[in-house]
Amino acid sequence: MGVAMHYVGVYAAGALKDFGLTVVSTVLSMILGVLAAVGRLYGPRLIRLLISWYVELIRGLPAILQLFILYFGLNQVGITFSPLAAALIWLVLYGVGYAVEIFRSGIMAVAQGQREAAAALGLSSGTTMRKIIFPQALVAMLPPLTSFVVLQLKNTTMLYLIGYADIMYEARLGVDATNQAGPLYVMAAIAYLIMSFIIGRIGMRMERRAAAYR
Amino acid sequence: MSNDVVVSAQGLTKRFGSQLVFEDVSLDVHKSEVVAIIGPSGAGKSTFIRCINHLHPFDGGTLELLGHTLHGGLKSPSRAVLRDIRTRVGMVFQTFNLFPHLTVMENIILAPLDVKKVPREKAVALARELLDLVGLEHKKDMYPKRLSGGEQQRVALCRALAMEPEVMLFDEPTSMLDPELVGEVLSAIQRLAKQGMTMILVTHEMTFAKEVADTVVIMADHRVAEMGPARQVLESPQTERAQQFLRRVLEPVETMEELSAAAGQGGED
Repeated sequence: MGVAMHYVGVYAAGALKDFGLTVVSTVLSMILGVLAAVGRLYGPRLIRLLISWYVELIRGLPAILQLFILYFGLNQVGITFSPLAAALIWLVLYGVGYAVEIFRSGIMAVAQGQREAAAALGLSSGTTMRKIIFPQALVAMLPPLTSFVVLQLKNTTMLYLIGYADIMYEARLGVDATNQAGPLYVMAAIAYLIMSFIIGRIGMRMERRAAAYR
Repeated sequence: MSNDVVVSAQGLTKRFGSQLVFEDVSLDVHKSEVVAIIGPSGAGKSTFIRCINHLHPFDGGTLELLGHTLHGGLKSPSRAVLRDIRTRVGMVFQTFNLFPHLTVMENIILAPLDVKKVPREKAVALARELLDLVGLEHKKDMYPKRLSGGEQQRVALCRALAMEPEVMLFDEPTSMLDPELVGEVLSAIQRLAKQGMTMILVTHEMTFAKEVADTVVIMADHRVAEMGPARQVLESPQTERAQQFLRRVLEPVETMEELSAAAGQGGED
């Protein structure tokens, strides 16, 4: 146990990296996800088709295969990413695939009457989306979005496989060096639990605020 | 189109796919005229008034309103034309359709601010005035959920009027309300009629139609069965289809007896 305590510092640094990566990739996936969801719902036929194929692809392939193809596979044809770049691209590509579906279902859950009322008042489709549909869709979307962010956080555990020096990477190294698999992995587990707990609380807060009118 | 005709539909036809909703509906609405459209459900009444502000496109015929001429078919009117029509035609829905995440005040001032670019103080002042007229000024900061159905519908009326429309459309404005709340909404609509607002309303309130409407249109089986001055159409309808509909509405109990007698004889109809 004493040995494990030496790792608190590197763990904290690794955890921060994972958390940061999760936050940045989440923000990017949300922005792209909203655009893709709107494209999937209201775009021209070809765009709708492409986005639905994209969703199938991301949903159908195991996450780790996507990461390996991106990092090792593309390396073979001369496209090389740093572990950090590969990690970010992977998380965003993966995240968008899920975010599209969450946003799409949220947008569709808003009653048709809301669109009609907005149209009858002469509101443009952009304003209707921003001021009427999206705020209401958010209430339905926040619970699955929170789970999705936690999922992304947990996905970062796979990044040690491409040599990204996060908490899991440090844990593996530590176990190899000290043979203290029990304490070291449990410490990593606790770090992940704390982070996902924080995400959960933020999600709950946002939910309460978004649903205040109900 | 004579000068004081505000809305003129000529041979309007609408289908959803191969399903006919209504066909060959022609109707002129004059300035300050109140037109009530009644008829059995499924006759296409609600869809018809939704075609007037182009919430639904129509397939055939011509619609002239507020200086615009729209033709049925695939080509939809330009965004500018649509916006102009919708800013000048107000609508109240059966299910109120207030924006639940906005307060009463925010519901009312949203479109004036966003679409008409009215200064905020002016929009707020008008909203207060309108709310005051329907007795809801004190609820301006509440969310719609906290209001009764009748209150919500009166707010929805204020929201439409805040755009200062030239024509108002009402789609069964009282049919989702508890009976004791119907009166408050109807009296607000009646006051508006007295002020000279041009209105087209789909309704099931026969007494109200008789008292408030100048013209009554009976739609049945996807077309206009009869149309004319309110009292004349409601008291002595000429066509058989109109007579049949009015008999069912005005004497539901007797009609029920007829129906059950027919059912007793093994009749399907």
